[in-house]
Amino acid sequence: MATVAESARAQQRPLVRRTSSTAPGGRRRHLGPLLAIAPFYVLFGVFGAFPVVFSLYLSFQDWDGIGNMRYVGLQQYKWLLEDSVFWHSVLNTFEIWFLSTVPMLFLALVIAFLLHSQVRFGGAYRVAYFVPNVTSMVAMTIVFGSVFAQSGLANSGLKAVGLDGIGWLSSEWGIKSAISLMIIWRWVGYNALIFLAGIQAIPTEHFEAARMDGANSWQTLFRVVVPQLKPVVLFAAITSSINGLQIFTESQVLFQTDDVGTTGGPGQEGMTIVLYLWQKAFKDHQFGYGAAMGWVLFALIALFTIVNWRLVSGRRDKETRRGR
Amino acid sequence: MSRRRLLGVSLAGAGGALLGLSGCGTASGSASAGTDHLSLWYWKGALSEKLLATARSSVPGVPGLKVRGAQMPSGEIDSKVRTSLAARAYVPDITVANSDNLATFFPDENEFLDLREFGAEKLRGQYLDWKWKACFTPSGRMIGFPLDAGPTALYYRRDLFQRAGLAYEPDDVAEAVSTWEKFITAGRALKTRGVFLVSNIGNVFQQAMLQSTRQFVDADNRFIGDQPHIRHAWDTAVEILRQGLAARVSDGTPDYNAAMSGSRIATMTTAVWAINGLKDTAPKTSGLWRLTRMPGGPANYGGSYMTLTRYCRDPERAFAFLTWLLSPANQLKSYQESALFPTTPAAYADPAMHQADPFFGGQRPIDVFGPAARNAPVVYFSPYEDTANTPFFQELTNVQTLGKNPEKAWRDAVDGAESALVRVGVS
Repeated sequence: MATVAESARAQQRPLVRRTSSTAPGGRRRHLGPLLAIAPFYVLFGVFGAFPVVFSLYLSFQDWDGIGNMRYVGLQQYKWLLEDSVFWHSVLNTFEIWFLSTVPMLFLALVIAFLLHSQVRFGGAYRVAYFVPNVTSMVAMTIVFGSVFAQSGLANSGLKAVGLDGIGWLSSEWGIKSAISLMIIWRWVGYNALIFLAGIQAIPTEHFEAARMDGANSWQTLFRVVVPQLKPVVLFAAITSSINGLQIFTESQVLFQTDDVGTTGGPGQEGMTIVLYLWQKAFKDHQFGYGAAMGWVLFALIALFTIVNWRLVSGRRDKETRRGR
Repeated sequence: MSRRRLLGVSLAGAGGALLGLSGCGTASGSASAGTDHLSLWYWKGALSEKLLATARSSVPGVPGLKVRGAQMPSGEIDSKVRTSLAARAYVPDITVANSDNLATFFPDENEFLDLREFGAEKLRGQYLDWKWKACFTPSGRMIGFPLDAGPTALYYRRDLFQRAGLAYEPDDVAEAVSTWEKFITAGRALKTRGVFLVSNIGNVFQQAMLQSTRQFVDADNRFIGDQPHIRHAWDTAVEILRQGLAARVSDGTPDYNAAMSGSRIATMTTAVWAINGLKDTAPKTSGLWRLTRMPGGPANYGGSYMTLTRYCRDPERAFAFLTWLLSPANQLKSYQESALFPTTPAAYADPAMHQADPFFGGQRPIDVFGPAARNAPVVYFSPYEDTANTPFFQELTNVQTLGKNPEKAWRDAVDGAESALVRVGVS
């Protein structure tokens, strides 16, 4: 690895010397390429960086979106800490995250492993698994809304096998399970493809060696594939956490048909952080409060990512040490 | 063109575009600046397309004026108006505001023109009194102009009432269920036949509340949602649930559609604009429905206004356009074309409004909605109504769906509303 990098640097050396800034006209030579990439930075500055900085500024203001802003210091954050609906939404978000992400990553792994083993029409399966990810979330939520209705497909299925119907949209864990199932449906294929790419990078000798030792499929999956897939699992876990903490459309569309002003369904069990942010900022026009909520969410995601990272990479260090 | 020149030109172009976006350098913030017409924002169904097509080439009686309508998604128009006002750029000259939204603009009333300056007072006699009064901010500026109204009625199933041994002709039903208490009594008779009185109690709470002249926040920015007028609406709703008279399904859900077309719900307490939705939801029940006066008295639920923003390029003539578009004759046309219920009582007398509707067994809807529109109470809506009433609807849902104790739910609703209102400066 190091030798490759060194030789590349050695090759570049003459080039660097020729264009160094001490040479006449050197700065101007950089100008062309810099200008060529400038549009990205301009657009990023306007539509990416500015809103981020502005929302931080906004979180210290009281603003209804049109009139004058009023500086309120840390008041918005103080209210947020005392707001029981906000903390309820944080708890809901984590519960839904756990209910969806853990089974989803496991399912994705199994699907990836099955796709990796020789199956017929592998390409077709890959496309099929990816379709939910590119389907309009609003459209799919409307479909799920009728599936989870009291007289819908899900309950008909349960009754057909002699079980009682579940209040998918009218009980605490029904609501959370329904939202989680939608998230699983949407993301399992995406993660399966990521895992599949990771599995295909594992040298075939490892699989052959496992087969020679008489390992069955489950043993191959958990003893050969999973340990070598750690970086990919880490990536999937972190991206899923970031997505999971920003759940919005599922709850919003599932309960929007209720025209009498409720958000998040009965008991607000489907109220997520982003849904509450949206309600406060864009329905009640409390933009300062919404901005403060956005920054608390940012802090939560950062914290959660660090914990995830520690958990997954920490265990890997221990294992490699044990291995040696 | 050399490469450097190309880069220079494109960069200058990008810079120019950014300046344009931010609105710097434009003399006027109007969306129609530099054009020969005024811009109007509305959502699908809010205005008559035929009249808008006429106004596109010229507004009758206003020489040289052209108004071009731009359709916005109904859920987004409010945010779009707010963001354009905040940016002071690309603001429409004229815009439509929903009844819920007009009051949310009160704190920023100066962003809109005071229509009294253009002689609005002269037209006052043509419009419904309560609707006219709702166009004014607490400081007395008139920022809205009456578009359509949403008078309410009791929609009921004549056949189900008859089968339950109740009065079943509209006038007799109105007599029999003149109060919410009598409405509940009728519900018990329906229950013995396995039919629910209402779909959910949120609607009942909403309607009983709108029959009061006061809502959740008064004109002095004080929370009054814990007072008897709201408590009465709450108790009525809870009593219906306690007696098992609500089907406990949310409107618009698949379960609701199934219950409506399956004849399991006998009444609807809602506004005139729900007619088309009902016809779509339960086409098989055509001819079985009737309309009559709402228990507890007339009220208004929904409806819209038109406003002129302060960026309007030609306020005098824009106002002339409003008076043309919303004149009694044109409100009648809008009713026939898009079922927009007129805010000009003169239109109610027109034979065109007295068409029999086969869906209601040949009944004429105007006979019920006309008097309701005339007699609706004058209600003050504060900018913070949604913030205040959300916890109440939420807690009613909890009582209905999760079986939460109603007394505890009431206390949580009051507490929730109070703490949400503190954050917007209402005490």
